[in-house]
Amino acid sequence: MKLTESKTDMLGKISAVHGDDHFMNRITSIGITEGTSFQTVRNDKKMPVLIYLRETLISLNRADAERIEVEKK
Amino acid sequence: MTGSIALLGQPNSGKSTIFNNLTGARQHVGNWAGKTVEKNEGSYTYKGTKYTVTDLPGSYGLSGNSDEEIITTDYIKSEQSDLTVVLVDASQLERSMFMLAEFARLDKPAVLVLNMIDVAKDMGKAVNAEALAKKLGIPVLPFNATDSKDYDKLKKLIADELKAPHKLIVPSPAEHKNVKEDSRIKFEWVDEILSDVTKSEQKVYKMSGFDRIMTRPVLGKVICICVVLLAFLVAMIIMMPFMGIGQMIPAVLHDPVDKLLTGWNVHPWLVSIFSTMLPNVLYFTISMASFVFGVNIVFGFLEETGFLARAAYQFDGLLSKLGLQGKAICPMLMGFGCTIGGACGTRVMDNWGQRMLAMSIVWAIPCASIWSIIPVISGMFFTWWQTLLVCVGILVYAVVTMIAVSKVFSRKLAPKNTRSGMIMELPPYHKAHWKHIFKEAFFKALDIFKRALRTVTLVSILFYVLSFSKDGNVDNSLLYRIGTFIEPVTKFFGMGWQTFMAFISGAFAKEAVLGTLNAVFMGDNSLIEATFLSNTTSTDTALLGTAMSSAISPAEALAFMFATTFNIPCIMALSTTYKESHSLKWTVKVALFYICNALILSFIVYHIASIFI
Repeated sequence: MKLTESKTDMLGKISAVHGDDHFMNRITSIGITEGTSFQTVRNDKKMPVLIYLRETLISLNRADAERIEVEKK
Repeated sequence: MTGSIALLGQPNSGKSTIFNNLTGARQHVGNWAGKTVEKNEGSYTYKGTKYTVTDLPGSYGLSGNSDEEIITTDYIKSEQSDLTVVLVDASQLERSMFMLAEFARLDKPAVLVLNMIDVAKDMGKAVNAEALAKKLGIPVLPFNATDSKDYDKLKKLIADELKAPHKLIVPSPAEHKNVKEDSRIKFEWVDEILSDVTKSEQKVYKMSGFDRIMTRPVLGKVICICVVLLAFLVAMIIMMPFMGIGQMIPAVLHDPVDKLLTGWNVHPWLVSIFSTMLPNVLYFTISMASFVFGVNIVFGFLEETGFLARAAYQFDGLLSKLGLQGKAICPMLMGFGCTIGGACGTRVMDNWGQRMLAMSIVWAIPCASIWSIIPVISGMFFTWWQTLLVCVGILVYAVVTMIAVSKVFSRKLAPKNTRSGMIMELPPYHKAHWKHIFKEAFFKALDIFKRALRTVTLVSILFYVLSFSKDGNVDNSLLYRIGTFIEPVTKFFGMGWQTFMAFISGAFAKEAVLGTLNAVFMGDNSLIEATFLSNTTSTDTALLGTAMSSAISPAEALAFMFATTFNIPCIMALSTTYKESHSLKWTVKVALFYICNALILSFIVYHIASIFI
């Protein structure tokens, strides 16, 4: 499923990230790489998605979060 | 003997705090050759040796193709500095070590600083610095940016390393063409290094109670707005003592200077420059600087504690409609206080185009000065509820202008393909480092003060010459002649020569508007004295109101108010935008846009209002 579809407090794994090199660079350098465990902390409509990953609370723009696929652990 | 070092680290690694505390006041801000990226350099002396420190720009890595990343990579490669100090956040070691993985490929001498070791300890995270140093082959220094003893350790370490530098002994992560794969390899490299240095286990994250409220979609926004309103109140309280001192300057200086110079038989013309104009310029620049000081202290506090990151999260959706991202909320809010502060505040944005766009949008936000003059002028022509309507109208048109600015400029400044949505960390709430906040705010205020003193003096002298008349009557000044000469043109836009002159002085500083109106409508004192003295002696608004309302129509007044509000904010905002963007071309472009916008708006408001009023 897409990250935007994940439910609050879901524990999961990043399964795929889609996008051009520019996007990929930004998203992976902050630590969002395939296979990384994460937790959805907050996912409200029309708001950025909040995830906890690599010991960091990260806020992701919704459009960007659409391009990240995740699976439930 | 001299040494040269460079600081490298991700956002939120505490790089700027360390840079400021190392170099203190000995800083130099310029830009990287041929680039719009800011270059911060500073120096300090340790045991008789002078060390220059370069703060390397950049984001989370070095592999992207942004100007910042290219500059940083090239700089390290060119060996212009002898040692790179790589900063990582010990409380988020795994993620922030990514920068070291990038750096490893450059194979240059380095030391690693484990910043925020205190935060890591509080969280129960132990990092074995010795084991890490052994593995890496470079010195590793646990560091607490608020502890002054740690700076001595760092300075000593740097001095030692410059004599006998170390390079990483671990093989650098293999390079891969595919960005995704490349990053994976780098994180594997980090994981491998950290494997027996620190334990990191995925714990279930529990939001703090306050954060749970702060991130609520509606309530969070309401809290943000309330906190910001409170922040402005505090900023006002901070600036008040400075304003009080500044206010005394013209009163204290006027008579002695006047007496002294007159005694020397100096021409009265020059006497009034030194006794009236310059002290008022001084007062004016002090009040401007103290405002910038106050606004920067409260926003510095909000940023350091982590509050602004929450605000960015809250307003990202709204701002993305303007081509900006959530981080722009901070400069925009500052803009309600002072456009200059807002323009400085765009430093939080991570690429140049977005910064420039944010600055041009901040210009549209009516600052505190506008809110202090509009109700006064409106009150001369309209009833209280009509004045309220005028204020609402201004707010509505501010939004329209922001959208227009975004429509016109975002295609060039923030093209869709480079537009980066907000990916940011929400740092845990920190205690504020007051010393750092005060220092930073002080430097910014000092910078504004110096630049404003120069600019305002120059513009004032120009204005003075234009408005000079032998008998003190405005009708005999150059300004009057120019004003009446171009009146047919300005009339077209809805403004007579008097209001047009006030419009021009508003582009110089909004505070000057009332004084100018007073001078041109009352005509009983010289324009320049009125302009400046209106700051110190209150303009008799009741009298001015009678004079104005008999001279011009309410429609013209309305047109004038809108034109003044949406003209270029003030000469210092212009100068600050140029300084922050390093681009004269774009500053001029945006200024022209605002002037045209103001004139067209004036035209429309005048002609529509003439039908109804």
